[in-house]
Amino acid sequence: MGVVSLRLKDRDLERLDELSKLERKDRSTMARELLEHGWEFLMLRYYKEGKLSLEGLAKKLNMSISEAVDLLAELGIEAPIGFEDYLTGFNIFKDK
Amino acid sequence: MEIVFDASTLILLAKIELLREITEEVKAIIPRKVKAECLSKKSIDAILISTLIKEKKIEVKKAGNAKAVNKIQRDFRIEAGEAEALWLARRLNCPIAVDDGPTIKACKVIGQRFATAIHFLLNLASQDRLELSMAIAKLAKLSHYGRYSREIIKDATERLKGGD
Repeated sequence: MGVVSLRLKDRDLERLDELSKLERKDRSTMARELLEHGWEFLMLRYYKEGKLSLEGLAKKLNMSISEAVDLLAELGIEAPIGFEDYLTGFNIFKDK
Repeated sequence: MEIVFDASTLILLAKIELLREITEEVKAIIPRKVKAECLSKKSIDAILISTLIKEKKIEVKKAGNAKAVNKIQRDFRIEAGEAEALWLARRLNCPIAVDDGPTIKACKVIGQRFATAIHFLLNLASQDRLELSMAIAKLAKLSHYGRYSREIIKDATERLKGGD
């Protein structure tokens, strides 16, 4: 594990202390967990905005695509598939 | 009909336990990278996909032309499995089954025909291969895992009930 020192705003330190008490974990553990949650949140947002593909999301979160699908379903994050895309999809069966 | 499947649609259809029926309707093809991704960790859907590959209901093909696959990846900011599936579908001149936003965007740009998991469910129901009550139950499950918009689910429900 590497070591990094950083300056935090008073407000962020207060939040860290508040969460440490709530979760009964030391500051360092809490800070690490918050970084992890922050990373996950940001990647999910990138996915939702269409900046990251499903496979890309799975890679960034170190999980399989199946696990990523389960996570997205659990969080109820809408798939970035538009209604027009949906209507277009019927064409392949019309051509059959 | 031959269709190349991306991992997204393959996994969704496996999760709603409809993949076997679909592979009896269409000739399902996947590139090697998609196979590797789907089987990377043990899960029920991975076991089903692996079984269907062994039964030759899903054919695994080499995508070929690594340069072209890399270019697709770079141009459309998608990953290797998605790019291989897209390239293979182009090469075989057949549609791609994909439930991934950026890959669908890429399909629209290059004029690649595509469908998502919900289309396979509706197609199966329209051919009376699924009873209405079962189709509605599968749609509910697919709505959970596929996370389609309300507008899409509403339309799909109407199509099922209307028999279109």
